[in-house]
Amino acid sequence: MKNIIISSVVVALLVFSGCSSKDVAVDTDKSEPTNTSEVQEVKAVETETVAAEDSTVNSGTQTLSHMSMSDIESELSTVYFDFDKFNITSNAQVKITKAAELGKTGAASYNVKLEGNCDEWGSDEYNFALGLKRANAVKKALVAEGIEGSRISMVSYGESNPVCEDKTKDCYAKNRRVDFKLLP
Amino acid sequence: MKILFSLLLLFRLLFAGDATIEVIKQVEALPSIAVEDASISYNNTFKLQFFKALVADLNVISLFNVDRYHRSIHYNATDVMVENKNMNYVLRYKMYEDDSGALNVDMKIIQEDTSVFLKSYKVSRQNIYMFVSHAMAYDVNKFMGEPSVEWMKRKVIFSRIVGPKKSEIVISDYSLSYQHVIVKGGFNLFPKWANKAQNAFYYTSLDGLIPTLKHVDIKTLKISSVISSDGMMICSDVSRDAKTLLLTMAKNGQPDIYTYNVASKKYKRETTYGGIDVNAQFMDKNRIIFISSRLGYPNVFSKRLDTKEVEQMVYYGKSNSACSSNGEYIVYKARETSNAFERNTFNLHLISMETDFIRRLTATGVNEFPRFSADGDAILFIKNYKNQSSIGIIRLNHNKNYLFPLKYGKVQSMDW
Repeated sequence: MKNIIISSVVVALLVFSGCSSKDVAVDTDKSEPTNTSEVQEVKAVETETVAAEDSTVNSGTQTLSHMSMSDIESELSTVYFDFDKFNITSNAQVKITKAAELGKTGAASYNVKLEGNCDEWGSDEYNFALGLKRANAVKKALVAEGIEGSRISMVSYGESNPVCEDKTKDCYAKNRRVDFKLLP
Repeated sequence: MKILFSLLLLFRLLFAGDATIEVIKQVEALPSIAVEDASISYNNTFKLQFFKALVADLNVISLFNVDRYHRSIHYNATDVMVENKNMNYVLRYKMYEDDSGALNVDMKIIQEDTSVFLKSYKVSRQNIYMFVSHAMAYDVNKFMGEPSVEWMKRKVIFSRIVGPKKSEIVISDYSLSYQHVIVKGGFNLFPKWANKAQNAFYYTSLDGLIPTLKHVDIKTLKISSVISSDGMMICSDVSRDAKTLLLTMAKNGQPDIYTYNVASKKYKRETTYGGIDVNAQFMDKNRIIFISSRLGYPNVFSKRLDTKEVEQMVYYGKSNSACSSNGEYIVYKARETSNAFERNTFNLHLISMETDFIRRLTATGVNEFPRFSADGDAILFIKNYKNQSSIGIIRLNHNKNYLFPLKYGKVQSMDW
């Protein structure tokens, strides 16, 4: 066994380069090791690939605070939904009508983002789509009340943005909701 | 009696190799293996850490009854340890640190006092020892002549929810022992490897005004925006040649499936149903499997990309909201209780498109996000049970499940 063949396989990585954009930035922390992970296999014909990543991308948002806007926003009541449903209940319709009134008066200069959310039962795409359908139902109701569709954008956060994390029916019900967020 | 025996034999022949049939292997029937540690460098804590990782990997390949005692011996000792005399196999390894600080491991498998397999490994740093352990188990499996466990050496990428609208994207080994947070800060979900080589990935950024699909090259760390959509933007699958993406987008608030050509940056709407169409996966180049609410509840359907033909694939259950396919098999997530007020159970089921047989793969908790390995040998999935989030592996042909718990946070989605 004297003829030892060393075949090496290199994986990994990484050069750190700084880059900056509006919402993401590459971590330029020099304390992170920049070495290359290398796996070598002795007495092996084929090559091994074992690797590790040593660098990190930072991603964050810039938050803007507009007090007057948040004051108006607090007037917009969250709309809640039944389990596995995205239809607007009569109770929700009252809130939407009030929101539409505000959209034509105090909040007339703002656009609105509707954030659809679900309870914790599932992180799959279907749950995200359910959150979106809820946001879309609210959008349609707002448009029916006379708000221009072009002022409304939507996003679904699925189960990833809970306001309550207890394992109770009240808590699940609080998470099945659409929130109004005003945009400048 | 003879008739019964003949029937049993016929049944066995008919369904040999059908993964929807549960394989019940007697524990006693598996050969025994003991692991002997002959390491000359490193402290006892690390020695034990490596030993445990190796024993875990040997368990996952599901070929042995693995002896759990940690015993030390000289690497060149001619006999196995007295306690291991009755073992079918003994795996002996020696870890040593070289001048460059690299971790070297020599391994031999001893059967009836003879070395029947030898191999050596080297990694540049001690803290990625688990990749050596996986490589050793992979080679032991290969030595035993079993179908490849290539997935053992692949990397897993997952998103972890750490707070409301806060997440991390993590690259790990299959057992989650190695974890590297590659995207931190912000709200980023649904990571998906961009190619087979796993040197780039896509993810959904929910930080901006509109959900946006981003692409990250791991080597250069260059991030680029791919495409945005109001409402929803998820990369559900990447074709084998990495040239086509299956996206869920929601232009005008309507979640539908789109194909996206990476080179031309052009997209095409593939589904037009007014309800929910999501979670598309390639079955082959021209056919996809996806989740749709077109029956009034989520279920599994398939569609040819060159025609408008849509086919229902699963006829059981009233809420099947996630799926993955490999060859003739489909694994899907089924809601087994439908209650707004109590804990619900979601289990994974495997169905064969040829025989229509169904096998339930999990028993408790919320089991979701099933993903077949490329070779169909294993299914990776997310399990949330009693406030513990784990990544699980189902070895279909061995009828075994393994769970790897996450230390903190909740797994949102993953790919491997």
